[in-house]
Amino acid sequence: MKISRRARLGDLERAIMDRLWALDETDPTASLTVRDIHESISQERDIAYTTVMTVLDRLTKKGLVTRERDGRAWRYQPVSTSEEITAQLLREGLDHIESSDRKAAMMHFLDSASPEEIDDLKAALAELERRQAG
Amino acid sequence: MPPLSTWLPVAGLVLLAVLLTWPVQKAMVRRHIFRREPLLALLVWQAVALAAVVSLLAALPLALWVMRESLTTTPLALGVAVVAAVITASMVVRLLLAGHQVGTSLRRTRRAHRELLELVGHEFDELDQPTPQLRVIQHPAPTAYCVPGLTHRVVISTGMLEQLGPPEVRAVLAHERAHVRARHDLLVEFFTVLHTAMPKPLRHEDVLAEVRLLAEVLADRSGARTAGRLPMGRALVALAGAQHPAATLGAASDSVSAAQVRLRLLTEDGRRDWIMVATMIGYAMLAVATPLAVVVWVTALSGAR
Repeated sequence: MKISRRARLGDLERAIMDRLWALDETDPTASLTVRDIHESISQERDIAYTTVMTVLDRLTKKGLVTRERDGRAWRYQPVSTSEEITAQLLREGLDHIESSDRKAAMMHFLDSASPEEIDDLKAALAELERRQAG
Repeated sequence: MPPLSTWLPVAGLVLLAVLLTWPVQKAMVRRHIFRREPLLALLVWQAVALAAVVSLLAALPLALWVMRESLTTTPLALGVAVVAAVITASMVVRLLLAGHQVGTSLRRTRRAHRELLELVGHEFDELDQPTPQLRVIQHPAPTAYCVPGLTHRVVISTGMLEQLGPPEVRAVLAHERAHVRARHDLLVEFFTVLHTAMPKPLRHEDVLAEVRLLAEVLADRSGARTAGRLPMGRALVALAGAQHPAATLGAASDSVSAAQVRLRLLTEDGRRDWIMVATMIGYAMLAVATPLAVVVWVTALSGAR
């Protein structure tokens, strides 16, 4: 089952990132090895060491984590915080505004509004409220 | 064979295509009254766009049919056939290319977005109305959007949950669900492909903006049906008033904004103007029928000769 396998991998990616994001941000040397992550996750679910390794490899290729050699093991660190990724997602949602409305990948509830518009909008809303009341 | 009948049908189809893509669509963008019937308006838009494409695609086969006997004997006939071939072939190539480029680019962006979303988004089921594939992201800016597609996601921010009351949240979610359910993204994609495939002088951004607006109006109506018109209106104003500063940058809106149009349409009483409905249906049918009529008429004429 391809789909369920993919869903599980996505879940695992998240579990791994959560552990890396839990590291102390102020300490630049804070990092985890595959073994650290595997030990932590296997307390919650049954997971093979090699699976964790494979997923970490994928996360590295995607540019979400970086790694450094430490003796025979790799030490992993997150590239960006979850807040940074969230901000990036929000920007992407609004990207098509600059790219002249061409490739809008997301459907945004509302694109933008200027302060003058807001006043006009509020007046129109008051009108709607009056009508609904009357 | 008289020369007139060789180039006339081809010229007619090309002219029809140009008319349908430029003056007709330009006039339609200005027909704001169409927005009161967003579903029908989208139908009309599709009919007109389709008719333009059919006209261009039919140019070559029609030219060949009309001149099937004189092709090798008269130079004019050959000339017309070559022109028609160039028009039809370039349109086919452009459509296929545009379809491929737009499609892959959209899907790649969405997949990448979804993957990141799975890392930082939270599932959320404390709403009175369950929304499948809902993800909440931690951000103070109130925002809502959907990542369309087969594996779609509806995304809202914690800022929206904090600043909007439950009825407004319900309205926003119903709005996003309507997009996802009705696959409005496919509609927008269809017009983006046509837009990209058209030669530059024949393109106009207004059409895409109008189609997108109509999809929003449709989703607004769905939200209003679920949560009430007032909550839908309040949600519109609240989200417009609290947009992320980055969102307002570069959004040059000289005319009335989409939010204003949507709120006004929400305020109008939903009484249906049946004359307008009938006109729009007739218009859509006429648009599709015209190129077909030209083809049928010409083949009948030249076949009878």
